[in-house]
Amino acid sequence: MTWRAAALLAAGAVTLPLWPAPFAGVALMTVAVLGLTALDWALAAPLAAISAARDGDRRVRLGGTATVTLRLANASARTLRAQVHDDWVPSAGARPDLPPGRLVRVEPGDTVALPTRLTPLRRGDRPAAALTVRSYGPLGLAFRQRAGRPGTPPWTLRVLPRFDSRRHLPEKLSRLRVLAGTQVARGRGEGTEFDALREYVAGDDVRSIDWRASARRADVLVRTWRPERDRRLVCVLDTGRTSAARIGDEPRLDTYLDAALLLTALAARAGDRVDLIAADTVLRAAVTGAGRPALLARLVDAVAPLQPALVETDFGLIAGEVLRRERQRGLVVIFTALEAGALGEGLLPVLPRLAARHRVVVAAAHDPVLAALTRDPPTRPADAYAAAAAFRALAERDRVRAALARHGVTVVDAPAAHLAPAVADTYLRLKALGRL
Amino acid sequence: MTADPPRPGPAPAPAPAAATAGPASATATAGSTPTAATTGPTPTAASGGPGAPGRANRRRRRWHRLAVPLGLAALLITATLVAHAVDQPDPTEPGFLSPVATDADGGSRLAADLRARGVAVRRETDTARALLATSGGAATLFVPAPGLLHPETVGALRDLPGRTRLVLVDPPRRVLEGADLPLVPAGRRWAARAVGPDADGRPCPLPEAARAGVAAVERQRYAVAPDRSTGRVERCYAGGLARVPQTETVVVGASDPFRNDRIDERGNRELAAGLLGRTGQVVWLDLDGPAPPPRPGDGSSDEPAWSPHPEPGDGDAAGDGRSGDAGAGDSAGSGSRGGTGRADRPSPPNPLWAAFPAWFWALLAQLTLAALLLALWRARRLGPPVAEPLPVVVRSAETVLGRARLYQRARARGPAAGTLRAAALTRLLPRLHLPADPPPTTVAAAVAARAGGTTAQAHTLLYGDAPATDRELLDLARALDRLTRTVAATPDPRPADAGPPAPAPADTGPAPAVAPRPRPAPSKEDPR
Repeated sequence: MTWRAAALLAAGAVTLPLWPAPFAGVALMTVAVLGLTALDWALAAPLAAISAARDGDRRVRLGGTATVTLRLANASARTLRAQVHDDWVPSAGARPDLPPGRLVRVEPGDTVALPTRLTPLRRGDRPAAALTVRSYGPLGLAFRQRAGRPGTPPWTLRVLPRFDSRRHLPEKLSRLRVLAGTQVARGRGEGTEFDALREYVAGDDVRSIDWRASARRADVLVRTWRPERDRRLVCVLDTGRTSAARIGDEPRLDTYLDAALLLTALAARAGDRVDLIAADTVLRAAVTGAGRPALLARLVDAVAPLQPALVETDFGLIAGEVLRRERQRGLVVIFTALEAGALGEGLLPVLPRLAARHRVVVAAAHDPVLAALTRDPPTRPADAYAAAAAFRALAERDRVRAALARHGVTVVDAPAAHLAPAVADTYLRLKALGRL
Repeated sequence: MTADPPRPGPAPAPAPAAATAGPASATATAGSTPTAATTGPTPTAASGGPGAPGRANRRRRRWHRLAVPLGLAALLITATLVAHAVDQPDPTEPGFLSPVATDADGGSRLAADLRARGVAVRRETDTARALLATSGGAATLFVPAPGLLHPETVGALRDLPGRTRLVLVDPPRRVLEGADLPLVPAGRRWAARAVGPDADGRPCPLPEAARAGVAAVERQRYAVAPDRSTGRVERCYAGGLARVPQTETVVVGASDPFRNDRIDERGNRELAAGLLGRTGQVVWLDLDGPAPPPRPGDGSSDEPAWSPHPEPGDGDAAGDGRSGDAGAGDSAGSGSRGGTGRADRPSPPNPLWAAFPAWFWALLAQLTLAALLLALWRARRLGPPVAEPLPVVVRSAETVLGRARLYQRARARGPAAGTLRAAALTRLLPRLHLPADPPPTTVAAAVAARAGGTTAQAHTLLYGDAPATDRELLDLARALDRLTRTVAATPDPRPADAGPPAPAPADTGPAPAVAPRPRPAPSKEDPR
């Protein structure tokens, strides 16, 4: 029953002073209202004949708006007057086009489309939770409503990472082009991989003359070099507990994803093969960079649903996984936090195995709050204590850096906002030095 | 009847006096213990039994984890309460402390003992006749169950002849007030305790008590009423026995000394016989149940002047007018222990009904129904609440800030100052072109030369004592901050011979985020 039944009864109560037998009037009116309500309930469109389906966007970038349309089909012989409540998880930011209180009217055999606009608040998979249809009778006195009828059509909106560091991509790509020599004349020093032999022309560096080849031919030949291509690059994302902590407004993992995506885009353009592994105690995601053209899209799709797990990361598993997948020597970029406990007990024991086969870079994002604590002049006693605590944390981080550096690991430690360009710069530098 | 649970099994049966309440309580507990033993294993057998799915099993076991101890506790409490109810006599039972009752609660052994001492025991079952009997001469009126006295006859107790001793066993407050005794109940024990006459340190002036010694008297304790502290009251047995010499009234807080089952213990017999036998004649008021109200009209003309109706009108008419059906019930059977007259009277119709017209009440009823419908409508949700795992909200700098707060709460100024000084040194040394672990004097001299001030000042700043107050710590932090900034901003006096490139002041300006912390630049390079 609805408020209308209650209002009817309350309105009838006003007439009671006029009744000769008031209590008989109460009984009569109550029975009448309940009878009307029952009749209305019987006349409401049956829920079993209603079916629901969805179509619309499957993916949306964080910050964007997607539209998913719910289609209600009325297969019964009665007109459906219904209140439809399409529940999504709260972080999906669902706003139905139709106001929630408005009645939907569907004629028999007809279908109605109910679009919902979704502006998700967080990255990851945002599922539709529950569909509730409340079918009213023609008088609006009673309704039929039952959980799971019609069944909720499943739908999951995948919210992709924002990839804010895209804006760094043109600059890094132009530096890459300088490296590759497509903008500047090729010359020695711009690469370490042997490219071809060609005839000497005036202006070439005499040091690059290949005397043995010149002796075989009647000409003076010089060797040309080019940057290495087809190198292996593995991005390892630590999705353990340290990646759950927030830096600014987002978890640390999102910072890692941003940097990993920029690195992938850059390396794919440079002709390297990029793999990605995300793991904590189990392997969460693994992408192998076989098909280059769609690599970035596939990678984004694979990392979008990653969520931090509140467990200690098993670096032994990660090392085993990397060693199993990558036979050739390659660059392994581990995105994690420079934390003495997590790295000292997890990463350092397995690091020698990894560093013997691959070149390892540890990329860590730190909180700019920490730097601000050590930088700003203290004004209160609490600031002095905070500065001491921050210095202590930085000293601990430096110890971890030193321990990692002893194994020949390059450490990139940057504030969260600058991690992506810093990692890209490191990659470009290593590529320029031919150290991949 | 009182609110006590009805007495089960053995008590009403005319058991021999030796088959006392002690074994009865033992059987009660023994009877309940097997119940616990049988209910105990049953759930375990059920949970461990059929191959139920593990989840349901676990849920059931979790339920058991709560239910079994609570059930055991409830069982234990129930058994204790039942045993106590069985063990403690009920003063409202017929035969309680009756001189002719031979069962555990009876007083036959006391009566026989009194007779053996040459005391005349006169049993009376009617209050008025008992009062009359005391008027003859020196007598003792023994009321084992004062709670059964009719409220209107209690007042007569205060008008007893002067030489009559009145002994009341465990009188409730209304009897104490009705009899105008300067006593109030002050605490009640779970069971009677045997104590000495001067248990609470006060000497007991009662010779009977002194003769009896230790007796089980202390159950209901009595104290002098605060507004009646003028009268003299003798209290013995830690307040369990009180004598008001003015009216020669003795109040005993426990029935144990008089009861057949306990009379032989300690000095019970001596105390009971002493209290009752002093005057040589005992009028034993043996009431079967609540006493009927006194009828002032009947009886002879030499009735004592204790008319409970002080109204000026005719007593008969007043009695009829006040309690019509109560009188009828009494005439039907004075022994019936049903409710008193007041409960049977039908309550008059509430005048509120007539104050409003009928339609008002009907309107109210219908509006209530409408509100019920409204509640039913609101009670049905449009869809279930949706649950979603939430992300972690802990800031990554939270541990650092927490450590700072810990430092502050612990007043760890020494360690904080040490950390600040070490950090400042780490930042200063590369800029001063000093080795990693230089002697303090060298550092102080170099700092003073670069940033100004005396060497002693610099030494105190970098290697001084730990600050004693927060203020000093703040000053130290500020001074260190100022020093590092000054050193970073001051141009290097010998830039030529500097091996590592000392950052120029122009560099530190636009990038303050990294300026105070000169990371060793080669660390990003390949160390190999």
